[in-house]
Amino acid sequence: MAYSLSLGLLYLGLLCGNGLVSARSELFTPDPSRGPHFTGCRSREQETFRCWWSAGIFQNLTEPGALRVFYQTKNALLSEWQECPDYTHTVKNECYFNKTFTHIWTSYCIQLRSVRENITYDETCFTVENIVHPDPPIGLNWTLLNVSRSGLHFDILVRWAPPPSADVQMGWMSLVYQVQYRVRNASHWEMLDLESGTQQSIYGLHTDKEYEVRVRCKMSAFDNFGEFSDSILVHVAQIPSKESTFPTMLVLIFGVIGLVILLVLLIFSQQQRLMVIFLPPIPAPKIKGIDPELLKNGKLDQLNSLLSSQDMYKPDFYHEDPWVEFIQLDLDDPPEKNESSDTQHRLGLSRSGSSHVLNFKSDDDSGRASCYDPEIPNPEDLASLLPGHSGRGDNHPLVSRSISSIPDLGVQQTSEVEETPIQTQPAVPSWVNMDFYAQVSDFTPAGGVVLSPGQLNSSPEKKKEEENEKKIQFQLVSDGAYTSENTARQLSTEVPPSPGPEQGYQTFPTQAVEGNLWNGEYLVSTSDSQIPYLLPEAPPAPILPPVSDYTVVQEVDAQHSLLLNPPSLQPAICPHSPNKHLPAMPTMPMGYLTPDLLGNLTP
Amino acid sequence: MVCFSGHVCVCVCVCVSSVLQAWLWCVSLWPCWLSHAVPLDCKDETGSLIQCTSISQEKLLDRVIQHAELIYRVSEESCTLFEQMFVPYPLHALRNQGGTMCHTKPFPIPGSKSEIQQISDKWLLHSVLMLVQSWMEPLIYLQTTLNRYDDAPDTLLNKTKWVSDKLLSLEQGVVVLIRKMLDEGILTPSIFEHTLTPYDEPSPEIPESVLRDYNLLICFKKDAHKMETFLKLLKCRQSNKLSCLSY
Repeated sequence: MAYSLSLGLLYLGLLCGNGLVSARSELFTPDPSRGPHFTGCRSREQETFRCWWSAGIFQNLTEPGALRVFYQTKNALLSEWQECPDYTHTVKNECYFNKTFTHIWTSYCIQLRSVRENITYDETCFTVENIVHPDPPIGLNWTLLNVSRSGLHFDILVRWAPPPSADVQMGWMSLVYQVQYRVRNASHWEMLDLESGTQQSIYGLHTDKEYEVRVRCKMSAFDNFGEFSDSILVHVAQIPSKESTFPTMLVLIFGVIGLVILLVLLIFSQQQRLMVIFLPPIPAPKIKGIDPELLKNGKLDQLNSLLSSQDMYKPDFYHEDPWVEFIQLDLDDPPEKNESSDTQHRLGLSRSGSSHVLNFKSDDDSGRASCYDPEIPNPEDLASLLPGHSGRGDNHPLVSRSISSIPDLGVQQTSEVEETPIQTQPAVPSWVNMDFYAQVSDFTPAGGVVLSPGQLNSSPEKKKEEENEKKIQFQLVSDGAYTSENTARQLSTEVPPSPGPEQGYQTFPTQAVEGNLWNGEYLVSTSDSQIPYLLPEAPPAPILPPVSDYTVVQEVDAQHSLLLNPPSLQPAICPHSPNKHLPAMPTMPMGYLTPDLLGNLTP
Repeated sequence: MVCFSGHVCVCVCVCVSSVLQAWLWCVSLWPCWLSHAVPLDCKDETGSLIQCTSISQEKLLDRVIQHAELIYRVSEESCTLFEQMFVPYPLHALRNQGGTMCHTKPFPIPGSKSEIQQISDKWLLHSVLMLVQSWMEPLIYLQTTLNRYDDAPDTLLNKTKWVSDKLLSLEQGVVVLIRKMLDEGILTPSIFEHTLTPYDEPSPEIPESVLRDYNLLICFKKDAHKMETFLKLLKCRQSNKLSCLSY
């Protein structure tokens, strides 16, 4: 009941009297428009407190004693109103409560009364700890913590001491502090967080600027700040930046010098390469892959290998019938062909009757491995050799080879070979007994080829040959030192056909074209007399006994060298050409002749 | 008129001067205080009782003071939060008055510095203990009431929960201190009767519960301040007797 009453009274007081709020905020500002009222109460150290009032508009109450202050401590037990224990004499309208009368944790209510009229003008209630405004801290000073590397910023540590009036040691008051700083004469103060200790660091101040720092405190868990302390000035002169930039410049200079030295070293060490990159040499005319020196001074076998690896001739040149012109039938030497061994077997040829020895070298792949390029017989010729064939396109004119090659393939190829000739010339029985090789002795005006013994005009063949020869000629003319037998032959039409000395056979490895027709080797004979264009002063070929210029490849040995017939005067020159030097190449029309080789052959 | 002891019920009527009061209280409550207290149990992971790690008295006092400081700060924050959320502005001034309706204690605690300085260590500790114990139940009550508010902020609820927990540990610490400093045991749980009188609703807009809870928070803040002050005074006395005595 008592509680509710007091609460009600309190509430009434709140609603009617505005002085309650003023106990917190409006201090020392008397409101002249009002009647007598309290202007504020304050405690500095939580041990004493003072209250002030103002007479307001009632000027007649300004004389001392007209207005009196009564207080009441609201404990559990209600006590009566007591008058202000001490009216301060020096200060007007101040009531001072000393230590004896100051109780914390108890709420006070004070009343401003005019005793004469018995009117209570104002009343306010509070507890002492809620009106505590601590004194400002003392002993504010600063020390420099550090200066930044650039010399533009610095940090300081600010220290102070708690106000002497506050008994912090005993724990009577727990103070928290707030530091503020600003650039001198600026309008805005920077506020730092509350600090319960007595020091604080300030970071990031600019050199060459003057700062003001001040601090104030309040009781922790309460809201009333005390007055600010006196401001101190903080100033750090900017260190001249010469020192800091000097090492930087040095480092920069040395770095640049080092870089330059490095660059020069690099250039000198890689001079050759750089020369190539920046000043590429103008390429001398040369054939790719062939060293001109080698051509001048190299050995025959090296040359052969080189040449075999050359990709000089267009494959499509001889796409249709690459080996047409290379087939030469020698019908007069049947007995010489009897020694061909397994190839004949493969071909299904009869040893006895057949004088056609087709010893083909065929690879199952497109690489060439032999040094001799036997002339691949015409599919028609093959047809003549192999009775009972079915015709087909001239896809694989090759015949199998011996030994290491795949027998199946050989058979296959044999069969293919078998097939091809049938289409073209289903009936060439008259050639069965003829050699594959024959020497062209003369050209007819009509364009026919006159073969030496057993001649048969095969005009279409000859025409093809001529065409191809022409083509070759055009191509070969541009090829420098090389010529082919075809060209030679053609050129030698004016030359009276003479068998010429029995020259050796120059076999040159050919290239097998992928999917091309040409997969065989062919023999080419060289003859001095047939190359007037290379050797303009070639001596007229001496007349020799009519020995055929061609010989038949009897066998192929393991090193892919062709074994020729012994009767030829010239030993078979079969340079070994390792397989690996023979990548896939387009077909070559004929053999090649180099000036050296010619020189070798010239008797 | 408070009957507070659990085992020995002593009802004493207290009046008049503070010193006499204190002395009388000390005498009258002596039998209660002499009753054996439940010591702190130290248990390891398995649950068996082991020897508690000992701590120096000074350190213990420091820790207790830290607890009290924290509780005080959190109580102030809770009060502010509640005030901002539920209490209309004109009534904020109630805070200034420090809670006129705080529940009564078994014995009044002096408020002036000089008087407090004259209080003995023993009395200081016991009053702290008494304060702590007196607030345990009301805080639990406060938690339940706050939960009923529609939009009570979580921070407020968390803070009150936290304070309840901390109060328990503070009590334990004070008990140990009493045992160490005063060489006496104390009964840990003590029952205080709290008379929470219903208020007449001063205005229809402000529900009574709000005022009551606000008042409770204010009173708690005040009492927490008392605890902190007493403990700090005790500490001061322990370290430097001369400067803490009244002059």
